[in-house]
Amino acid sequence: MMAKLYLLYGIVVLGLMGTAEYRGWRLTSFNEARTVPRSVRDNPGSYRPVYGGFRRFTGGK
Amino acid sequence: MTSRAASCPNCGAPLSYRWSSSVQTVCEYCHSIVVRTDVDLKKVGQVADLPYDASPIQLSTEGRYGDKGFVVAGRILYQYEQGTWNEWRIVLDGGADGWLSDAQNALTVSFLTKGLNIPTEAQAALGRSFEWHGTRFTVMSRTLAHYAGVEGELPFEYWDKTDVTFIDLRSESADFATIDYSDETPALYIGKAVDFDTLRLKNVRTFEGW
Amino acid sequence: MAAQGRPPVSVRSVNCPNCGAATAVRTFGHAVNVVCQSCRSILDATNPGVTILQRYTEAMKEEPLIPLGTRGKLLETEYEVVGFQVRQIVVDGVSYQWREYLLFNPYREFRYLTEYAGHWNFVATLNALPGGGPTPEGAAARSYGGQRYRHFQTAVAKTLFVLGEFPWQVRVGDTTTGVDYVAPPLMLSAEVDSDKEVTWSLSRYTSGDEIWKGLSLPGKPPRPDGVFADQPSPFRGAVGTMWRRAALFAAIAMVLWIAHLVSARGRQSFAQNFAFDPKSPQDTSLVTPVFELDGRPSAVEIETATNLDNQWMFVGYALVNEETGQAFEVARDVSYYHGVEDGESWTEGSPTDTVALPTVPPGRYFLRIETEGGDLAAAPMRYRVRVVRDVSTSLWFVVALVLIAVPPILATWRSSKFEHRRWQESDHG
Repeated sequence: MMAKLYLLYGIVVLGLMGTAEYRGWRLTSFNEARTVPRSVRDNPGSYRPVYGGFRRFTGGK
Repeated sequence: MTSRAASCPNCGAPLSYRWSSSVQTVCEYCHSIVVRTDVDLKKVGQVADLPYDASPIQLSTEGRYGDKGFVVAGRILYQYEQGTWNEWRIVLDGGADGWLSDAQNALTVSFLTKGLNIPTEAQAALGRSFEWHGTRFTVMSRTLAHYAGVEGELPFEYWDKTDVTFIDLRSESADFATIDYSDETPALYIGKAVDFDTLRLKNVRTFEGW
Repeated sequence: MAAQGRPPVSVRSVNCPNCGAATAVRTFGHAVNVVCQSCRSILDATNPGVTILQRYTEAMKEEPLIPLGTRGKLLETEYEVVGFQVRQIVVDGVSYQWREYLLFNPYREFRYLTEYAGHWNFVATLNALPGGGPTPEGAAARSYGGQRYRHFQTAVAKTLFVLGEFPWQVRVGDTTTGVDYVAPPLMLSAEVDSDKEVTWSLSRYTSGDEIWKGLSLPGKPPRPDGVFADQPSPFRGAVGTMWRRAALFAAIAMVLWIAHLVSARGRQSFAQNFAFDPKSPQDTSLVTPVFELDGRPSAVEIETATNLDNQWMFVGYALVNEETGQAFEVARDVSYYHGVEDGESWTEGSPTDTVALPTVPPGRYFLRIETEGGDLAAAPMRYRVRVVRDVSTSLWFVVALVLIAVPPILATWRSSKFEHRRWQESDHG
C-alpha cells in the first residue's frame, strides 16, 4: 500500500519537476503589476474630456 | 498373504491369521492371547480390557506411507508415567512389517533395521547423536514404559509386563528412530515422523460428536 | 478382524472427589489431567474418582477469552478448545503473563493458541529438529525450513493457572525453561523441562480477528498492545520497494534535468551599459528600448554587472510587456565591500547581481530601471544590464531529489522504530 502510494507520489513529483523546468518556474519574489502606463495618456481609464463634470448636460435644473 | 483358519484353543471360536508373518493374535471373543507354533496354536495369556484410549487408528485402518499402501494389523498399548501411547503394527503392500506409533496424536512410522551399531542404554543419553544411513539422529526422549494391552496380530510374542526403556531419536530432516531395550539385544527401528495429512488414513475410529 | 463395526468412542465425564461436580472430558482417552470445572482441583483423568493431584489454593482466577468447548475452524481444520493455562515469566522483576489454549481434533495433532497483550499465535510441535543442535543453548541464531531465526529470549516460565484437560501432567507452579527465536511472522521455541527433555514448536502470528471469525466468537478480540516478538512488520517489504523506486525516480529526474540543461539555451535578448551618479538629486529612472523575448513562456534572467567598489546601489527593474502592459517588478540591492584586516583580506557581497523571473510569456518587452545610490560622496557607478531568455536551473532537480528521498527515509525510520519496539521486549533490547 505504502509502496503503491509512493509510486503515485513519485510520478507526481517528476511531473511537477518537468513542468517547472519547462515553464521556467522560479522561487523569486516579484511584483506582478498590470497595465503599467508609459504615460498618463496611455491609461485607458484616465483623463478624458468627457469626464469634466461642469460641461455635462444635467437636465436643465 | 494366506489366511489360515483355525479355532481358538481356549474357547473354540473361529480364529484366523490374516498375515502369514504374524506370530501372535488375540481371540476376539475370549480375549485370549494365542501364539502359533509350527504345529499348533497355544494360549499364553489373557488380555484385560484395553484402557480407554483415544487413538483415531484402529485395526483395519488403511493408509499410505510413501508410495505404498498399508493396513493396520495389530497393536501394543504402552503405559508410562505421563500416560499411554500405541504402537500399531502395519503391513505394507508387498508384505513388509512396520510400526505406526501414535503418542497423543503425534505419529511416526518406523521399520526394524538390522545390522547397525546400537548404543547401550547408558550411551544413549539425552542430546547425544548417532549416525545411521548417513543421517544424524539425536536422542530426544527416554521413556520407561510397560505393556498395557495387545490387540490383533503381532509378528512376535509380546505380553511381558516388565518396565522397558524406549529411546526416541530425531533428525533435522524429520527422520525418526526408536530403540527398544526390552530384549537382551536392543532393537532399532528407523523411519520418519509423519502427519495425518500425508498418511491419508481410511477406516479410522469414530468419536462421539466429531 | 471386526474393527470396522466398533461404536464411536463416547464422551465421558468425571466426578470430582473434592466437590462432587461432574466435568466432561472432551479429549476422550487423551486426557491425563482434567481440572474440575467447579473447584479447580487437578484430577487424575485415568483415576479420577480416586486421586486429586493438586488442590486449588491459588488466589488467581481467570476466565479464558475463548471458552472451553468452543469449536470452530482454524487453518482449514476444525478444533475444539479443551485446555487453558496462564503462564508467566519474570524479567527484571517485572511479571509478564500470557495465556495458552489447547486445541483438539481427534484426527489431528494437538495445536495451541497463545495470546499475550492481544497478540495471537498458532502453535504446532515440530517433526524435525532445527539446525544448530537439539538443545537450545546460548543466543546463537537457528535455522529451520530454510529460514533463519534470531534468538529473542530465554526465560523460565511458570504455570499460574490451569483449566480444562491436558494429555500430559500439569501442575500450578510447574516451571520450564523456554527459549524463543524469531523470524516474523514465525517463532521457533524450545521448552526444556526438569528432566532436560526438549520440545520444539513453531508459532505463527495470527490476528485476533481471524480467530474470532474462525471460531465464531461474539464481540471483538482484545486490541493488540505494543509490538510482539514475531509480529510481522507493516514496513519491512515496503521499505525495500520504496528505495528501489526512489532510485528509479532519481534516475528519471536526472534525465529530465540533463534534458533541461541541454534545451534551455540561455539566449541573450538585450544588453546595454548605463551610468549612475549618486550625487544627482533626483531618482534616476529610465526606460530601455524594446527587445524581443521569444519562444514559449520561460524564465528570464536579468543580470546587473557593476563596477562597485566599497559601495552599494539599489536597482528597481520592471520588465514590461509592450503590448499587454503586464509588468514583472523586482528590486535588487547590489553591494560590494572589501578590505584587509589583521593581514587577511575580506570581501562582502558581489558587484554582479542576477535575478530570474519565472514563466515570462513571449512578446516584446522593455525594462524600466530605477536606481538609488549609497553614499552621496561616492563616485559615479557604471553598470551593464543583460536580459537572458530561457535560462536553465538545477533548482528543481535538487528539490525533486529531496522530495523523492523523504518518503523512503521516513519509512525506514518508522520501520526501524517498529523493530526497536520489538527488540526492546527481548533479551537484547
